[in-house]
Amino acid sequence: MQAFKQHDMLPESSHDEQARQDFVMAFRGHLSGALMPGAYRVYHQRVEPAFRAARGRAPADQEEVRQVMTQDPYYQFWSAMQRRSQEMLWESVIEPTERQLPELIGRSRKLSKKTLAKGRKGTLRLDPALVVPKYHTAADIHLQPGGYHTDFTADDVAAGVVYDKGINIYMGGALGPENNLTGDTLLAYFREKHPQSRPARILDMGCAIGNCAVPWGRAFPDAELHAIDVGAPVLRYAHARAQALGVPIHFSQQNAEATDFEAGSFDLVVSHIMLHETSKSALVRILKECHRLLRPGALMLHLEIPRGKTVIEKFMHNWESYNNNETFCRYMTNIDLKSEAVKGGFDPAKTRMDEFVPKLDVAQMNYTESFFWNILAAHR
Amino acid sequence: MKKTAKNTSRARATARDAARPSARRSAPAASTARRAAPAPVRIARIAKGKKPQYFSDPAIDKLLWMTLTLMEELSVTRDRLDAVENLLEGRRVLKIADVDGYRPAAAAGRRRQAQRAAYVDRMMRAAQAELEEITGRDMPLSEAEVVAAVEA
Repeated sequence: MQAFKQHDMLPESSHDEQARQDFVMAFRGHLSGALMPGAYRVYHQRVEPAFRAARGRAPADQEEVRQVMTQDPYYQFWSAMQRRSQEMLWESVIEPTERQLPELIGRSRKLSKKTLAKGRKGTLRLDPALVVPKYHTAADIHLQPGGYHTDFTADDVAAGVVYDKGINIYMGGALGPENNLTGDTLLAYFREKHPQSRPARILDMGCAIGNCAVPWGRAFPDAELHAIDVGAPVLRYAHARAQALGVPIHFSQQNAEATDFEAGSFDLVVSHIMLHETSKSALVRILKECHRLLRPGALMLHLEIPRGKTVIEKFMHNWESYNNNETFCRYMTNIDLKSEAVKGGFDPAKTRMDEFVPKLDVAQMNYTESFFWNILAAHR
Repeated sequence: MKKTAKNTSRARATARDAARPSARRSAPAASTARRAAPAPVRIARIAKGKKPQYFSDPAIDKLLWMTLTLMEELSVTRDRLDAVENLLEGRRVLKIADVDGYRPAAAAGRRRQAQRAAYVDRMMRAAQAELEEITGRDMPLSEAEVVAAVEA
């Protein structure tokens, strides 16, 4: 595994701050690799047989699994520790970020003015009037205090810094040196299915810190690459980070449900594990907006996390919903993304769901024993 | 009276500003002067949202929280000790093998033993306290008994 790359927008960690981050990563690795699989064993050997003995049948759905599993002492203990590990993860990166925040904001201002290779330059367009959707403001997603959207000071970049360092620990380093794994995964899928395609204008929706947009920018350096999000502090950070990495990207603060881009103006619209952070009504609106933005024949790709096939897998996946403020993800279990895309205006004959398997270590997976990605792909 | 009300609303506005600092920039100049040395920015530590209860007694949730945080700090301390040992070895002050092979001489050994026993005693007092409550001489059995003893 490649080491996390220290670029100009990341804070330094003191010995003890680094030791705390290292501990959290080791602790979470143990929870995922050694203790989480035990929850499946406990279900098969103890919880499910007891349910059968009492009711004469197996649990019918994840809600029935939930009723019995949350009473099991092994599951309770793993679950409580998993929750605490997530809180500790943020704490361990908030400390160095807070300590160096004024300097980081200063660096972001300087980087914003930097001209990149071939005289190109990324841009940032914020909209202070934008209403941040309730799926962000009702509860802080992933337990990151303040979420993607809270400014703790003027020109704040803290949410982005904390997110960049935090998600690397979250995935046990598996996201790669620039947290590039999810971007690379969708890019690999795109290249496999459309080897000749050279999109000239690309949009990344729900870009957060732009970690998925950067690989697209590197892959298609001549393309005009746009990336949108609703959170101002993550966008300020994303802009400075992309400038630091030398990739020109045009960031703007916009809701993917309704953007100000011209209809039919994109060759490719992508998102990376964004849809499950939205809401039932937003989901269709986003897909409708994708349909509007694509020129005829152009492609939409959304990378999503599968929600499990068996009742226990579904229950384990939705740990995130009940314990990690991924409020919407449990509703995604029963949503057919293909039919949602059709509701959004896409032709069923040109819309498909694909499973895509990246090479990942089980010890890096939090709630499941096997892993693949879901990809919603549709041509306009 | 009116002044107090005004001050209170200003205090509230200040609290809001701290939470939403973009508003701070549009605050009147007078209040900026008052804040000559602004307090360092503090990032929230607690996420918004309902925290689940994992065990039958919420106290167990809190104890596990504390235990895991202690586990983290012990790991940090071991890493730090390791850093100190490596730095000292690098500067030829000692060899790490010396620490591994260290056996305290008689006096140092006795001091260490006494320190260890005192530490164990402090930790185990949580259980000892309950035992003394039951078996101690003249132990009052209730708070009312204590009050009665004082009044008498």
